[in-house]
Amino acid sequence: MSFWWTCGGMLAVTFGSRLAGLTLQVRLPAFWLRFLHFVPIAVFAALVTPSLEGSRGEGGIRVAAAAAATLVAWRTRQLALAIAVGMGAFWLLRLVPG
Amino acid sequence: MVPLWLGVIPFGLAYAVLARDTGLSVVETEALSLLVFAGSAQVSAVGLLGRGAGGLEIVLTTFLLNVRHVLYGLSLGRVVPLSPRERVVAAYFLTDEAYGVSLARGARTFPFVLGAELSLFAVWNLATVAGAFLGGVIPDPERLGVDFVFPVAFLALLVPLLRRRVDVLVAVVAGAVAWLLAQWLPGGLPVLGAGASAALLGAALTRERRA
Repeated sequence: MSFWWTCGGMLAVTFGSRLAGLTLQVRLPAFWLRFLHFVPIAVFAALVTPSLEGSRGEGGIRVAAAAAATLVAWRTRQLALAIAVGMGAFWLLRLVPG
Repeated sequence: MVPLWLGVIPFGLAYAVLARDTGLSVVETEALSLLVFAGSAQVSAVGLLGRGAGGLEIVLTTFLLNVRHVLYGLSLGRVVPLSPRERVVAAYFLTDEAYGVSLARGARTFPFVLGAELSLFAVWNLATVAGAFLGGVIPDPERLGVDFVFPVAFLALLVPLLRRRVDVLVAVVAGAVAWLLAQWLPGGLPVLGAGASAALLGAALTRERRA
């Protein structure tokens, strides 16, 4: 049940934002325009770090694999390729004994 | 629109695999794509669910991520003539990409806007269905280390957004604050707190207007 409440809330705030702009015609202050630009950057970064280390004592190789994925994402800007390289590096490093 | 689909398909697949990995059913995974239809918010919601976040934290993070649509609506509403009913329909399917295409090379009519929106909606939902079934067949995600897809996927989404030095600074501050807060706070609160405060920092540090 709680999933559907959450889903309904997400629908309300998302559709609400989309509808508000299209039906009301107001101007946002410049400060909040700049704030909105930084929201996805800040939220994505905040989602990375708490789950980076993991709970299985593999922090070192996870950070190394994440660095490889970051490099590929930066050079190619290809989402799928960066994820594939990150996961591939992680699984390869896991095979190394010690 | 076709180059955009190439970006939407892996994103939709990744979202659905993550959603199934977190424990959402196929129906729940697809429901978010049909009803919410907001990629980054859906992926974030699934990431937060995996951290044991509550519904309120997820809805507030979704709001933080999607309130930018107010801007698109304001801008689109000025250049495309729309009836009240067309405004509601156009609003439901509005996305970053559809807004960008409509404004950049659009015929600036309701049928064009709706066509751009619906083509993305269809591709996003097809990719979700495909990924939802794919995600369900991955065995024992814990042992395989599939949970590592989360930080990697968010890094891959984040890096292309970093165009200026201040963008990198905001990302580093958000990451550090979230990591610190996660030592004490459960669920989605670190993400919400670090996300909002680092975005405020970015807005305070920049002067020139940036759309």
